[in-house]
Amino acid sequence: MFEEPATKKAKLDPTTMTEKDIISDYINKIKNSKSNLQAVLSDELSHTIETTKVYIASIKDKRNISKAIQVLNEKLPLNELSHLKRVRKNTILLCQSSTVNTSTIEEYIDSKLPELKDVFELFSEIDVPSQAPKLKRQYTEAMKMWSCNFHPDIYLEKLSGDHFFPEDELNLHRTFMAIAFEAAGWYLKSTVKEITGDLLQAVNSSVVVDPSINSVVAVSFDNRLRHPVQHTAMMAIDDVARTQDGGAWTRKTTCNDSELSGIDMDLLEHLRIKFPDTKFGAKKFTSKEENIENGEKENTGPYLCTNYYIYLLKEPCFMCSMALIHARVKRVFFCFENSEFGALKSKAKLHTVQSLNHHYEVFTGFL
Amino acid sequence: MVEFMNQALELAKEALTAKEVPVGCVFTVDGTIVAKSRNCVNLTRNPTRHAELNCIDQVIEHCKTNNIDHLSYFKKVCVYVTVEPCIMCAAALNNLNVLEVVYGCANDRFGGKTVLDVSNFYENSYILTGNLMADEAMSLLKQFYKGTNPNAPESKAKKKKEM
Repeated sequence: MFEEPATKKAKLDPTTMTEKDIISDYINKIKNSKSNLQAVLSDELSHTIETTKVYIASIKDKRNISKAIQVLNEKLPLNELSHLKRVRKNTILLCQSSTVNTSTIEEYIDSKLPELKDVFELFSEIDVPSQAPKLKRQYTEAMKMWSCNFHPDIYLEKLSGDHFFPEDELNLHRTFMAIAFEAAGWYLKSTVKEITGDLLQAVNSSVVVDPSINSVVAVSFDNRLRHPVQHTAMMAIDDVARTQDGGAWTRKTTCNDSELSGIDMDLLEHLRIKFPDTKFGAKKFTSKEENIENGEKENTGPYLCTNYYIYLLKEPCFMCSMALIHARVKRVFFCFENSEFGALKSKAKLHTVQSLNHHYEVFTGFL
Repeated sequence: MVEFMNQALELAKEALTAKEVPVGCVFTVDGTIVAKSRNCVNLTRNPTRHAELNCIDQVIEHCKTNNIDHLSYFKKVCVYVTVEPCIMCAAALNNLNVLEVVYGCANDRFGGKTVLDVSNFYENSYILTGNLMADEAMSLLKQFYKGTNPNAPESKAKKKKEM
């Protein structure tokens, strides 16, 4: 949006130039992005709708329509195609092509439905949507093939559109992603001389936020070179556990104050200067036992990462994506795609696997 | 094999006593146990502290102390675990290139083979064998789920019922 004056740029210490440039370059790009974030939706929602083949025929005499529907519904029910209407104008849907076990559809109808002999003419096979349309766009597409039932879902429409987040909320998401970049720069600075674009894409960092108070709960950085399981999301989950009087891994410098124990103390100091308008720290944790003692009926404090958001530089791998499901995170935001192992867009969409017991939403499109 | 799975089952029983999801695990290298652990999710308030990940930590600690390169060491590891590793653990074990994984009962809620076959996403995956003493492993899980997870907040469905 606005360029820093050239004189100010020239004043930067040349030894920190490269690292400053690439990190602040990304932060500026993110902050000045004009586009809304995009939800990563299930294939069912993002791809064109799948089709299956059915037989249809015309009714010779309109007066037979209701009888034909009654007989067909009874003897050849639509079952998994129940989202389809049986009749469209004078044409009637007979059955799914895969169920026909005679050489022609005419023979099949004659043998299965003798009472409807000579009722139909102009038999043909067409493509119809194999599943109920979920979005208006899919409904329009489906209606070109055959009439079908549709129950619009307002939230899903919004989620699949280009205006999901209002501008003020977008700025919050961009700030939290910027913190993830700032943290990556802070950690890398202590280990390497120069932060290159390749290096930045090879590591990962993350920021966990409690959106009910817009506060940063944990800031975590990849340690996979020293410990192959300590990817940033795994670290983040453990950092959150520490704010809830738990945690399995030890850290270098953490705050004794449990609300702030998800962030390295020195990093926290750095981030507070860089992001003076951002809140840091978790809500006070109370265990179930304490709640009972206090006479509270239900668990009011935080539980795992329930209702938390996580912002990651890079799309998490299968291990981390599943870990975030175990942790019951509410939303996952990432900046770069992980073409090799990404489990939320690139290689799979773990958050859309129906049989899992928890599902978070995934957003990307920061740049 | 049975001997190692018996050890893993003992650890799972220990987890049950500690009110944790009863899953136990041992790692072996050349027929010797090098790590053994069980679930400790509730204790650590970290939902990723599954038996397998605890064993991985033990191996890394062992390698660090003895100056062994853990990346080559993991390639010799056989994993005996009472329940099929979840998607997270299966991915972790694939990342580490372990030699073999033997499990007791299948995991139809989170299984890294049953729910989503993680090995499809890795070039070289481990040898996977299931159904070793599955009944024993399953019966422990059933005992646990008869009670409720003491740390979980009340479910919405349950709350509604009470209202």
